[in-house]
Amino acid sequence: MSGLGQEVGVAIVTGLLQGCVYALVALGIVLVFRASGVFNFAQAEFGTTGLFAAYAALTLWGWSYSWAIAFGLAVAVAMGLLTERLVVHPLRNASRVTVLVGTAGVALAAIGIQFWQFNETLIMTMPRIVDSFFLVPVIGAPVTVQQLITLGVLVVASLVLALFFRSPAGLTIQAAQQEPTAAELVGISVRRVSMLTWAMAALLGGLAGILSGPNLTFTAGFLSFGAGRALLPGFMAAVLAGMRSMPGAVAGGLTVGVVEQMGTLSFMIEVPGARAMLLFGFLLVVLMVKPHGIFVPRTAVAA
Amino acid sequence: MSLLEVRGLVVGYGPHPVLHEVEFDVEEGEVCVLLGLNGAGKSTTVNTIAGLLRPQSGEVRLDGRSLGRRSPSARVKQGISLCPEGRRVFPRLTVRQNLRLGAWSQRRSPRAVREQQDLVLDYFPRLVERADQLAGTLSGGEQQMLAVGRALMSRPRLLLIDEASLGLSPALATTVWEVTSRIRDGGTTVLMVEQNAGALPFADRALLMEKGTVLHTAVGEQIRNVNLREAYLGA
Ligand SMILES: Nc1ncnc2c1ncn2[C@@H]1O[C@H](COP(=O)(O)OP(=O)(O)OP(=O)(O)O)[C@@H](O)[C@H]1O
Ligand SMILES: [Mg+2]
Repeated sequence: MSGLGQEVGVAIVTGLLQGCVYALVALGIVLVFRASGVFNFAQAEFGTTGLFAAYAALTLWGWSYSWAIAFGLAVAVAMGLLTERLVVHPLRNASRVTVLVGTAGVALAAIGIQFWQFNETLIMTMPRIVDSFFLVPVIGAPVTVQQLITLGVLVVASLVLALFFRSPAGLTIQAAQQEPTAAELVGISVRRVSMLTWAMAALLGGLAGILSGPNLTFTAGFLSFGAGRALLPGFMAAVLAGMRSMPGAVAGGLTVGVVEQMGTLSFMIEVPGARAMLLFGFLLVVLMVKPHGIFVPRTAVAA
Repeated sequence: MSLLEVRGLVVGYGPHPVLHEVEFDVEEGEVCVLLGLNGAGKSTTVNTIAGLLRPQSGEVRLDGRSLGRRSPSARVKQGISLCPEGRRVFPRLTVRQNLRLGAWSQRRSPRAVREQQDLVLDYFPRLVERADQLAGTLSGGEQQMLAVGRALMSRPRLLLIDEASLGLSPALATTVWEVTSRIRDGGTTVLMVEQNAGALPFADRALLMEKGTVLHTAVGEQIRNVNLREAYLGA
């Protein structure tokens, strides 16, 4: 294979792998939105914060890689729980915009703390879990083992979520969102359900951050606006999923990754901001044609 | 000792209470109807018994023990279940899932839950045909049956039903009321709120509520003899 064909092939593979990170972020966004109707602008910063914690444990304190990951995820989950307790719960009767601003405030506060705690080294790097890569046969796209691990984690996370939502415990999340009073009346603690969903969303964000960080260098705000920016693509993926569908969030994330990567093709490279333009153009067209999103189950549209 | 004792209940939504020292008893094994006009305070009363509202003073006792400030979930575990005003089924879950969640407090005993579900479906056979339909797409009457069924799934000792007949045809309302007798015979005491005096023939005890107090109580034969209708409309 050669020329444009190969270039497109490489862009698709790279895009799908980058899309795995977007999908993890989108899953967290959809989860929280479904459970509490909140647009969570802190979703990506759960990831950066987890990444920084894992980085500190691994490179500054010399912990093993697995303990560093566990610590990073724990910090991300703690941040999710704190966000729920200190921002979302107190604002539960406020308008959606107010809560949205509240979560954006959490993201900014997290970025501030990252700058403050890690001001010695402005640009950080962290080794990969397995530091090797290979070329995909025929297409020739470079793929790191780290990216394959990310793909594997996404698959496992999607399956676990799918099973969880069919389980009775998963039903309580939907029940608490659809009729909170009735949920309390059957003995579901709406408060605990809310904390559970935020913890799960933060875990997904933490995975996105800790797995994508080692592919690049990172700074404060890495996963929101930095080199690994996944917040906007994650939101786009969630919108493609109608803000409701979990499989849709995964499909949306992968799609957004591929569409964005088309902006790196050689004939596009001269166009400034081609990636962003492509992405917004794509989203705009999709929403004009199918305003409820494309990766949406029928029942979710009716809802 | 009665199953439920309500004593000196004062409840309000602001500085002015809407219940003024509400007092009544419900005996184990009866169907009790709490009758009153719009705004009499019926929903406020049952919501307080279920723990959704906190009284300013007074108390609710089950088996002689005060429920204090316990949460609705704690009260479900103790055997008080409320089918709330306006049905409030989980609209985007199926009938089956709604019922399953009704038994959330009993999830540690799956066999008992299955038996209870069979019982509920026996009370409301219509729900069998609709088992896999989303609750939000049911007719009003079917939603009401589901709401009562869901409340029953926790195997309560005391079932509170707030205006089951609202928006139902007279025939359908009668169907629901008839089921309360079967529920009682199955061992669950029923306290149902109604505006519709048509529920009286199904009651073992009738409480007449007006402007935040219980005015009259009638038991057994008295329900037919005392002209509640007149007291109710003419008071
Ligand atoms: N959430 C609330 N906030 C303020 N006042 C309320 C609230 N709910 C009820 N009230 C007031 O309390 C009084 C009793 O209301 P309640 O709902 O208990 O009456 P009800 O007997 O159930 O009436 P209905 O038959 O119409 O359901 C009414 O005057 C009502 O306006
Ligand atoms: Mg009422």
